[in-house]
Amino acid sequence: MRSGTALEYSVSERDDILKFGGREFRSRLIVGTGKFPDHRTMQQAHEASGAEMVTVAVRRVNLDRAQESLLDYIDTERYALLPNTAGCYSAEEAIKTAMLAREVGLSDMVKLEVIGDQRTLFPDNEELLKATKVLVKEGFVVLPYTNDDPIMAKKLEDAGAAVVMPLAAPIGSGLGIRNPHNIRIILEAARVPIIVDAGVGTASDASIAMELGCDGVLMNTAIACAKDPVGMATAMRYAMIAGRLAYLAGRIPKKLYASASSPLEGMIE
Amino acid sequence: MEGLFDVQLAVNGKTRTVADDATITRLLEELQINPLRVAVQLNERIIKRELYERTLLQAGDTLEIITFMAGGSS
Repeated sequence: MRSGTALEYSVSERDDILKFGGREFRSRLIVGTGKFPDHRTMQQAHEASGAEMVTVAVRRVNLDRAQESLLDYIDTERYALLPNTAGCYSAEEAIKTAMLAREVGLSDMVKLEVIGDQRTLFPDNEELLKATKVLVKEGFVVLPYTNDDPIMAKKLEDAGAAVVMPLAAPIGSGLGIRNPHNIRIILEAARVPIIVDAGVGTASDASIAMELGCDGVLMNTAIACAKDPVGMATAMRYAMIAGRLAYLAGRIPKKLYASASSPLEGMIE
Repeated sequence: MEGLFDVQLAVNGKTRTVADDATITRLLEELQINPLRVAVQLNERIIKRELYERTLLQAGDTLEIITFMAGGSS
């Protein structure tokens, strides 16, 4: 067990482990590698976040700077790599990208993105489902990024997705959990982990996702573009733990009227 | 002995000239690319790493050399 604060201790004591695709994670936070001011800050933010998995894009090697590698700044013994198909607009393109990513030999997982529109970056769910089916058959651990649509989530699960990743809000928007009710419906029906992907803006958003019962949260912009990325990564780490603990502890039902916390008996007369 | 003729390839969308006996391994060396951090596609087909050494490059070949880059979502 890692040494740490009481918060981490109480979580790990519960053996509260996120499992999918034959892997186990103690941290429920997945962090991106994009948009950081520099590699060193990214490295420090990853460390501060407590994450055990980071997502990476799959791109052509820049031949003018072929010696430079993002992988110099990611300890692959410590962080599982989750290659993504960001920027793909068809099933075919996403499948090709995933196949190449696996060939690098560092991960058989894929955060599957098939984007339908440049302005919203909302997924093209038809193409996404197609690509999910193919990649599952090819033996990938598939984590599709989708809308907060319970029907689509079910279809992806039935297609063999290891995890379903509904968005909280558009990618990079920082709008937070736009439709907590849909997320709850998705959670109710799910038999695979549900990890919210995209839209988180600040720590409370991560807590809300976890309080709803989500199995994890993936974020990038909220940390990378914060004024202090390392500070925000730390905040996110604790927000995830707080939200998860609150979910496991069980919140009280909301009531319209007050109910006193102090006994009426023994009042001074 | 080195190859006598040069051949032209397209590597990541750019024209590149290599010796006519060049393999994928040789090309990666010339480009100073660590083979353990990339995947290579030759004319639309992914080439397994263990075949780099044996795969000769021919005039007109199109190569894609990919790796992991910074990125979160789209």
